[in-house]
Amino acid sequence: MEKPGGGGVLSAKEAFEKLEKVGEGTYGKVYRAREKATGKIVALKKTRLHEDEEGVPPTTLREVSILRMLSRDPHVVRLMDVKQGQNKEGKTVLYLVFEYMDTDLKKFIRSFRQTGQTVPPQTIKSLMYQLCKGVAFCHGHGILHRDLKPHNLLMDPKTMMLKIADLGLARAFTVPIKKYTHEILTLWYRAPEVLLGATHYSMAVDIWSVGCIFAELVTKQALFPGDSELQQLLHIFRLLGTPNEDVWPGVSKLMNWHEYPQWNPQSLSTAVPSLDELGLDLLSQMLKYEPSKRISAKKAMEHAYFDDLDKRHL
Amino acid sequence: MEFDLENPLENLHSDDVSYLFLIESDHTPSQNHSQTLKARDLDISVRRELISLISQLSCALDPVLSYLAINYLDRFLTNQGILQPKPWALRLVAVSCISLTVKMMGTEYPATDIQALLNQSDGGIIFETQTIQRMEALILGALQWRMRSITPFSFVAFFIALMGLKESPMGQVLKNRASEIIFKSQREIRLWGFKPSIIAASALLCASHELFPFQYPFFLKAISDSSYVNKEIVEQCYKVIQDIAIEEEYSSALNGVSRSDTPINVLDHHFLSSESEKTNGITVANATDSPLGDLKRRKITGCGGNNPTILNSWIQPCERECEK
Repeated sequence: MEKPGGGGVLSAKEAFEKLEKVGEGTYGKVYRAREKATGKIVALKKTRLHEDEEGVPPTTLREVSILRMLSRDPHVVRLMDVKQGQNKEGKTVLYLVFEYMDTDLKKFIRSFRQTGQTVPPQTIKSLMYQLCKGVAFCHGHGILHRDLKPHNLLMDPKTMMLKIADLGLARAFTVPIKKYTHEILTLWYRAPEVLLGATHYSMAVDIWSVGCIFAELVTKQALFPGDSELQQLLHIFRLLGTPNEDVWPGVSKLMNWHEYPQWNPQSLSTAVPSLDELGLDLLSQMLKYEPSKRISAKKAMEHAYFDDLDKRHL
Repeated sequence: MEFDLENPLENLHSDDVSYLFLIESDHTPSQNHSQTLKARDLDISVRRELISLISQLSCALDPVLSYLAINYLDRFLTNQGILQPKPWALRLVAVSCISLTVKMMGTEYPATDIQALLNQSDGGIIFETQTIQRMEALILGALQWRMRSITPFSFVAFFIALMGLKESPMGQVLKNRASEIIFKSQREIRLWGFKPSIIAASALLCASHELFPFQYPFFLKAISDSSYVNKEIVEQCYKVIQDIAIEEEYSSALNGVSRSDTPINVLDHHFLSSESEKTNGITVANATDSPLGDLKRRKITGCGGNNPTILNSWIQPCERECEK
């Protein structure tokens, strides 16, 4: 078939030189690559499209288009381009071209754990503010992330800038999840309503994740490190108390609700002992059981915990 | 998350509309290319043919589908051009734009209906699915996967709120008429140089001038005062849209479309005459008059030309609405 118009778009293989594989994301392999035309370093996410008679699936089309629209906010990893190609078997492959960031929050926290140092309080405050700001931006545009975790929060260690990655990919690529590593299936940042089988998510699921990340920045350990859905719930209940209809109306009607051991709530300061009063207050508002009572990202940015933070460059 | 022309991002909050103004240029046929395209009569005629084909194919589904498909087409043409148009290639582009639109809008039509429609063909050309998919990939690449187009529809509610008409019957009437104007003006290549927000503002002003001329100066000020809008560019765009609307009127008249002789239509005729007078005035003696001067003259002429009884009966419903 003769193509209308001039030369075609460069294929991903022609446009980029793969430098190294840097990870296996939930939705495919991730490469550090150089764009040949500009010399710019990018992150290439390679994803198989599960085509049927339709060609590009509508959900992929809609969600990738959202990413293309959200790429102007400084706290969302920028999707610079999308390349469509074919692999050796002739199957369609999509390359998402993202700006490259040197590290992520998971590695950042691990580096402090290894040296035995604590993350400086003002660094925690700055990173948390940027995270709230990025989440507020997404939520303000009706976008949920649904998989916020330190691995998905990319950082530039020189500037301490933080950006949210993998936004919307959960819905763009509904592929069977292979168990590459246990980390891919981590439950640690999952909100209790999700674990209990709620079918209607709200933006509050991301706020819960933000709260878990907040605590982890302070202690360098996961707040709720469950290795099964039941264990995840029990971790949460041990600290926050087993929920009931008084603290969380409707909880007993959720699909996965059972009888659970009855724990009384503990003070958050027992889990995050070095966080100050204002930080503990903000954290407690992020970890409310009832989703509608959880603080919003926008309100979190206004919390007094951030009052003494210099926000001019954030 | 299905695509909605009025909310390209679902659940957009009113305080975040600034983001749409920031990125709207990514979703607009490029101004430079419209200059280039105007120089290519072949491409203009090709575009006209493709629009006709898209409207024909998609009018059976949803007119909004036409609008988005034509947006994709225009952005594709300004990016790629079509240097050697062949009938089958033109049809393939049109069919592929519709196919992408159907996917974006999440229409609930059975796949077989869509397929049968897409394969509808006067020339006996039937495209294989794989062929359409390859063209889709080409279009997606040219549009850089920015398929949640920001169109004038994305801004109408914002400007209506600026005009103080949020959730009012008057606002709804204006919105409906402005939407009609936006739909019809899409065919006009002269608008390619204008951003969607400018087109939305101009269409609303055109609608308000037509339907509520006595409130028009207030609406003009409300929109002009917005920091998102360049007043001079709105004036330019307004004139183009006004020309299109007038041509539409003449076209309807020439086609002998019958119209009931209601007070509204009587006023329409008066304003049509008023427009002619304005044109003559500018040409002959007042080319340097400001738009406000034009407004004054129009009002005087309009008032002088109207039967007081008709005027009174027309104003009362409006006043009642304003009081709500």
